[in-house]
Amino acid sequence: MASPPQPTQPPPMTNAFALTPHKVSVCLLLQTYALPAQTTPPFPFSSVSQHNRLGLYLLALTKSYDDISEPKLEELLNQLKEISGSLGHWLIDHLTGRLSSLSAPDDLFSFFTEMRGILGGLDSVVMEDNQVILDPNSNLGLFLRRCILTFNLLSFEGLCHLVTNIGSYCKEAMSSCMPYETRLLDESSNDLETLSEYENMDLENFVFGKVNEEIEARKQASERVPFHLHGPKALSGLVEDIEVVADPSSKHGDKCGESNAYIHPPGNELRDVDPYGEIFLRTNWQVQGYLMEQADAIEKHDSSFSFNSSELVLRQIKKLAPELHRVHFLRYLNSLYHDDYFAALDNLHRYFDYSAGAEGFDSVPSSSGSNGSGRYEIGLIYLGMMHLHFGHPKQALQVLTEAVRFSQQQSNESCLAYTLAAICNVLSEFGCSSSAGVLGTSFSPITSMDTSLSVGQQLFVLLRESLKRAESLKLKRLVASNHLALAKFDLLHAQRSLLSFGPKASMKLRTFPINVCKELRLCSNLISEFGYESSTMTTDGAFSTTWLNNLPKSMDSPLLPQENGHRNNCDAHRFFTQLSTVPKSVLQLLGSSYIMRSTAWEMYGSAPLARINSLVYTTCFADASSSSDAASVHAKLIQHLAVFRGYKDAFVALKVAEEKFLTVSKSVILLVKLQLLHERALHRGNLKLAQQVCDELGVLASSVSGVDKDLKTEASLRHARTLLAANQFSQAAAVAHSLFCMCYKFNMQVQNATVLLLLAEIHKKSGNAVLGLPYALASLSFCQSFNLDLLKASATLTLAELWLSLGSNHAKRALTLIHGALPMILGHGGLELQARAQITEAKCYLSDPSYSVFKDSEVVLDLLRQASDELQVLEYHELAAEAFYLMAHVFDKLGQLERREEAAASFKEHMMALENPQDEDDPLLNMF
Amino acid sequence: MNSKETCRSELRIALRQLSDRCLYSASKWAGEQLVGIEQDPAKFTPTNTRFQRGSSSIRRRFRTNDITSSPATGMSYVSTPVLEEDEVIDGDFYLLAKSYFDCREYKRAAHVLRDQNAKKSVFLRCYALYLAGEKRKEEEMIELEGPLGKSDAVNRELVSLERELSTLRKNGTIDPFGLYLYGVVLKNRGNQNLARTVLVESVNSYPWNWTAWSELQSICTTIEMLSSLNLSNHWMKDFFLASAYQELRMHNESLAKYEYLQGTFSFSNYIQAQIAKAQYCLREFDQVEVIFEELLRNDPYRVEDMDMYSNVLYAKECFSALSYLAHRVFMTDKYRPESCCIIGNYYSLKGQHEKSVMYFRRALKLDKKYLSAWTLMGHEYVEMKNTPAAVDAYRRAVDINPCDYRAWYGLGQAYEMMGMPFYALHYFKKSVFLQPSDSRLWIAMAQCYETDQLHLLEDAIKCYRRAANCNDKEAIALHQLAKLHCELGRPEEAAFYYKKDLERMENEEREGPNMVEALLFLAQHCRTHKRLEEAEVYCTRLLDYTGPEKEMAKNMLRGMRSESSFPSMDAEHFPP
Repeated sequence: MASPPQPTQPPPMTNAFALTPHKVSVCLLLQTYALPAQTTPPFPFSSVSQHNRLGLYLLALTKSYDDISEPKLEELLNQLKEISGSLGHWLIDHLTGRLSSLSAPDDLFSFFTEMRGILGGLDSVVMEDNQVILDPNSNLGLFLRRCILTFNLLSFEGLCHLVTNIGSYCKEAMSSCMPYETRLLDESSNDLETLSEYENMDLENFVFGKVNEEIEARKQASERVPFHLHGPKALSGLVEDIEVVADPSSKHGDKCGESNAYIHPPGNELRDVDPYGEIFLRTNWQVQGYLMEQADAIEKHDSSFSFNSSELVLRQIKKLAPELHRVHFLRYLNSLYHDDYFAALDNLHRYFDYSAGAEGFDSVPSSSGSNGSGRYEIGLIYLGMMHLHFGHPKQALQVLTEAVRFSQQQSNESCLAYTLAAICNVLSEFGCSSSAGVLGTSFSPITSMDTSLSVGQQLFVLLRESLKRAESLKLKRLVASNHLALAKFDLLHAQRSLLSFGPKASMKLRTFPINVCKELRLCSNLISEFGYESSTMTTDGAFSTTWLNNLPKSMDSPLLPQENGHRNNCDAHRFFTQLSTVPKSVLQLLGSSYIMRSTAWEMYGSAPLARINSLVYTTCFADASSSSDAASVHAKLIQHLAVFRGYKDAFVALKVAEEKFLTVSKSVILLVKLQLLHERALHRGNLKLAQQVCDELGVLASSVSGVDKDLKTEASLRHARTLLAANQFSQAAAVAHSLFCMCYKFNMQVQNATVLLLLAEIHKKSGNAVLGLPYALASLSFCQSFNLDLLKASATLTLAELWLSLGSNHAKRALTLIHGALPMILGHGGLELQARAQITEAKCYLSDPSYSVFKDSEVVLDLLRQASDELQVLEYHELAAEAFYLMAHVFDKLGQLERREEAAASFKEHMMALENPQDEDDPLLNMF
Repeated sequence: MNSKETCRSELRIALRQLSDRCLYSASKWAGEQLVGIEQDPAKFTPTNTRFQRGSSSIRRRFRTNDITSSPATGMSYVSTPVLEEDEVIDGDFYLLAKSYFDCREYKRAAHVLRDQNAKKSVFLRCYALYLAGEKRKEEEMIELEGPLGKSDAVNRELVSLERELSTLRKNGTIDPFGLYLYGVVLKNRGNQNLARTVLVESVNSYPWNWTAWSELQSICTTIEMLSSLNLSNHWMKDFFLASAYQELRMHNESLAKYEYLQGTFSFSNYIQAQIAKAQYCLREFDQVEVIFEELLRNDPYRVEDMDMYSNVLYAKECFSALSYLAHRVFMTDKYRPESCCIIGNYYSLKGQHEKSVMYFRRALKLDKKYLSAWTLMGHEYVEMKNTPAAVDAYRRAVDINPCDYRAWYGLGQAYEMMGMPFYALHYFKKSVFLQPSDSRLWIAMAQCYETDQLHLLEDAIKCYRRAANCNDKEAIALHQLAKLHCELGRPEEAAFYYKKDLERMENEEREGPNMVEALLFLAQHCRTHKRLEEAEVYCTRLLDYTGPEKEMAKNMLRGMRSESSFPSMDAEHFPP
C-alpha cells in the first residue's frame, strides 16, 4: 500500500471536501462507468445511451445544488432505478454489495487503490485503444482525484468515522426497504467474484471522453460562484435574531433542529431514530450554489416565499458548517422580505461582523479585501438598502453617506458607484424636502454640488455622476440600472430647458420624452453585451440541478438525440431555456425597462403601446421576473381592462391575479383592487363604499413624511373625487389644494397637472365655470409642456364643458375644442372619456342655435347611443342618465313618443340605481 | 429554622451520597460548604478547625455583628427527609463499576451494571453512559473539525438515555439523581421546558445536589422563568437564587442573598468568590481585590474565578501582583482556560499583544465557549489595529451570550474606530440596553453621535444626560453637556452644567483644564447677565491659574470694575 505519509494537519486547501459514504457510492458507480473494458458499450450496459446516461447522472450528482445534504442510499438507489431501467437492478445489487463489503478500514484502503486504476495518467493524451479511462481533468476525473486525495490525507480517526458512517448508511437503506435488500445481502458475497469476471471481459472500446467533452463544452465550468449578483436594487430587510430574543428556546438557537424533533409526542418511535448520524453537507461548491439559488428565490418571490422552510434549512447548514457565514446573509434576506426589521438588522450585522463583508462578494474582484480591512462598506450599502425597504429615509441617507465616506477611504471605486446609485434610489423613492443638510457637505468631494440645488437637481447630478462612474468601471448591470433610473427621472421630473440661458430664456419647465426613450434603449443594450460574451457565471450546477429534478421526464425525452425519435418538445424547450447564457439578474433588469416603457406610454397617453409593453414583459420576462414586478405588470393590465372593457372583465382578471400573487399589505394587487373598487363605487354612486375604500387606501401609506408619496397622492386624489361626487365642493377643493401644495413641495409637477384638472372639475360641477377656466387652462399648459397627451385631451374636454356651461353662444367654441381632442380621445381614451366627449359633443350640437334637430337628428342620437352603451358597461349611472335624458329630449322633439318613453324609462332606471345603491347582491363584490 | 448544625449534618450525609454516586463536582461543592460553616466555639475539635485556619480570626472579628443579624429574616424551611439508601450495602458489581468509573472507564462501568436494577445502579449506569457519550463527543468535535467549522458532534447516548429515563419516570421508579440526569439529557436534547420541570422535581426531592441547581439555573434565562419555578423552601434554594440573580444581572439582589448566606457559611470560599463576582460587576474593584487576596491565602491552589481577579489587577495596573498570580496558576494547572486567560491578561498589560492573543487562543482551544476570552481577545486585536479580527472575536462572544454588553461595546468601538459611527450605533444601542446603568457605555454612544460625520448633537445630549445620571466616574458627561449646550447656543443650560461640573470638581478636589474652562465660561456668562459679583468670584478664582485665561480674567475684572464704578456712583447719588 503506497500511501503518502499522513500529514499531521490537513492543508488549508482541503476546502471542506469530506469523504462521506455518498461519495464512496459515487466512486463505486464511477468505477462501473469507467471500468477498463473492451466492448462498446462496456459490459453491464446494453446501449451507448445507457452508458452516457449514467455518466450524466454521475455528473449531475457531483454538481447539482438542489439540496444541502447528500442523498441517502435509498434515494440514490431509487434514482438509479429510474435512470438505468433494466440495468438498475444490476447496478443496485452491485453498489449495495460493494458498500456492505467495506466493513474494515483496510477494505477502504484497497478500494481507493483500486479507484486509482480507473484514472488515466495526467499527460496521457493518447488513449490506448481498448481502454476506457477517466480523463483526470474532466469533472468526474477531478471529483475522483479529490476523493482519493482526501482519503490519503485522512487520519485514522477519520477512517474510522468513514467506516462507521458507511455501515449506518447501508443499514438505514436496508431497514427501509427490507424485503428487497435481504435478497441483496444474500447475493452480495458473489459480487466481488462477478465483478472481477466483468473486468476481464473482452469488450470493444468506447471513447469515454466524448460525452464528457460534450457536456463540458456546454458549460465552461468555472468554479467561481458569483454570489452577489443582486446588486443594489431596491432590496433590503432584516431577520429576527433567534439568539437574541428572550425566548426560552432561543438560547439554543443552534439546536433548533433538535427541538424540532420534539414536536413529536413523547414515545413516538420516529424520534428515536438518531436523526443526526447520517446528514452530510454536500461539497462547499454545491452548498454555495444552493444558497445562491435560495437568495434568488427569496428575492424573486419576496413575501410569498416560505419563511420557515428556508429558515429551517439555513439553521441546519448553520449547525453543520458554523463557519459558513453566508447563511446569515440568507437569513437577512429572508427576514427582509418578510418585513421583520429586527431580525433583518441583526442578521445583517452578524453577517458582516463574521465575514468582514469579504465572503461571497466575489463578483467584485477587488484587492481591497486582502489588505485586512474587510469590506464593511458593502455592509453599509446593505444597511442603507434595508432602511430604504422599511421606509426610513433619514437613516438610509445617513448610512449611505457613511458608505460614501468609507468607500472613499478604502478607495473602493465600484462600491462607491453602487452607493451613489443607492442614494439616487433613496432620493427618488422618498420625498426629502431637505436633503441638503445631509448630502451637501459630505458629497462635495465626489460631485461639486452646490448645496443650494433643489432635491430634484441634486438627484439629477448624482444620477449622472453615478452613471459616469459605473461606465468607467465597466459595471454593466449598474450602468443599465442607472439608465433606468435616469429614464424614470426624466419621466417624472420636469426640467428647465438646458439650452436656454439669460433673462430672455423661457423659464418654462418641460419633460423630455426623447431622453426617456434614449435611456431605456441604452438600458436594453445590456442584453446584447451579455448575449455575446460567454457568461462568467457557471450554469453547470443549474444544469445539473434541473436535470436531476426532472429525472423521470428527462428519461422520456433524452437529451442525446440518437436515442429514439419521439421526444417531448415542451420538456426539451424548458430544458434549454434553463441553459440560457443571459443571467437572471440581467433579464430582470431588462424586464423592468419594459415596465418602465409601459409606464411611460401610460403617462404620455398611448394606451395600446402601454399594453403592448406590458404584454411583452409577461411573455418574455415572466420566468426571470421578481414577483413584485410581475404583480405590477398584472396590475397595469387589469387597469387597462377596467378602463377599456369595464369592471366585469377587470374583476375576473383581478381574481386570477390574486390567486397568483399573495396579497399582503401594500402589494400592488391589493392597491389595484382598491382602486377598482373605488372607481366602481364612484360610478355607481355608492359613496359610502367609495369613502371607505379610499380610507383603506390612505391607511396603507407610511406615516413618515415623504415616504410612500405616490400612494399618498393617489389616496388624497381619490378622497377629493369622492367629496366631489358627494357635492361637497369646498371640502373637495380644500383637499385638492393641500394635495397641490404637497406635490409642489416634493417637486411632483407632473402630478400637479392632474390636480389642476381636478380643481377645474370641482369648479365646473359647483357651477362656477368662470373660476374653473383658469385651472383648466393651467392644466392644459402643464400637459402640453410635460407631453401628457391623453391628459391634455381630457383637459381640453373639461375646457369645452366649461365653455359650454357659460352659455349657448360658446357652443361653437366648445365644439371646435372637442373636435380637436377627438382623435386622441377616440384612439387612446377609455370608455368613460369617450362617453363624456360624446355627450358633450351632443350637448354642443343641441345648444347650437344653428343646429336643427329635425334636419340632422342622427348625429346627436348616434353620439348619445354610443355614449349610453359605453356608460352602461361602466355602470356609470349619473352620466348614463344624462345621456338617456338627452335622448328622450331629442325623441320628444322629433315626436317619436314610443322611443321617448323607452329612453325615459332607462333614464329613470339609472336615476333609481344612483339613488339607492345596493351592494348586498352585487356579484362583483361578492367575488372577494 | 435551619441551624448550622442541621446544615452540617445534612451536608455530611449528602456528601457521602453524592460521592457514592460519582457526582463529584456536586460532592466537592457540598464539601466546600460543609467546612464553610462556622463551628460553634463550644464544639471545637482540632480536626474541624484545621480548615478554618488563617484569616478565620480576622474574619470573626469583622463578622460578629453580621452573624447575629442575618438569620433574623425568619424563613421557615421545609425539612427534606434525608434520602434513605435502598441498598445499605453496595453490591459487588456496583463496587467494581464505581472503581471503573473512578478510573474514567465509563463504558466498562456501564457494562458491569447492565443487569442491575437497583435505583443506584441504574443511575450510575446511565450516568456512566452519559459521560462516555460526552467524552466521545469532545473527541469527535476535534476529529471532525473542518474548514467550515466543526461538524456538529452530538452525544450519541442521549437518545437511548432519554428513552430509558422517561420510562423510568413514568413508572415512578426514578430517584432524584435519575431525575437530575434526565434533566441534563433533556436540556442537551433541546427540550428546555420539560428539563426545567424534571430538574425542579429533582431538587425538590433532593436539594443538596448543587449540579442539579446549576443546570436549572442555566436554563432560567429570564426573571419570569425564574419566578415561575415551583421550588420548595430549603436553604439550598438561597444559593440557587443568589446565583440565578447574578446571572440575570441583578447584582444587588444577589449580593444581599450571599451576604445573608454568609451568616451560616461564613468560611465558604465559594460564597466569597461569588460576592467578589457581584462586586466586580458593580465595579467595586478595591473590594474585589481584598476578597481575592484573602481567598488566595485560604485556598492558594484555587484556579476557579481567578481570571476575574486578574481582570481586576489588570484594571488597577498591578504588574507584579498580576505576574505573581499568573505564575501561581501556571504552576498549579497550566492547561486550564482560566490560567491561559490570566497569562493573556498579563501580556496584554505588558503591551505584548501578540503573545497575549496566543494565550487567549489557547484558552479558547481548551474551552470554545469561554466568553471572556473572546472578548479580551477582541480587545487585543483592537490594540493591534486588526479591526476585522477584533470584530470577529467580539461577535463570537456575543453569539455565545447575547447579553455580554462588553462585547457589544467592543463591536461598537471597533466600528467607530474604522470611521463608521452610524453603523457602530447599532452595537452601542445593544450594549446600553443590556447595561443601562453604565455611564461609560452612554458616553461612548454620545461620542458616536457627536462625531463630525453624524453630528447629531441633540441625541448626544440625551446620552450624556443619561451618563451623568449614572454616576459618571470620569466626569466626562457634565463637561460635555455644558460644552454641547454652549455650542447649540443655550447659555442657560450650559451655565447650569458648568456649575454642576464645577461643584463636582470641587468635591473631588480635581483641577485641570476643565476647571479653567468652566470658570471662564461662568465668569463671562455672569457678566453678560449682569451678575457681577458672581462673575467677580469666578474671575478671581481664575487668577490662580496660569495661561491666557489668567489675562482674560484680569481684563474682565478690570472691565467690570470700570463698569460697576459708574452705577455705584449713581447709587451714591440716589440712595434708595
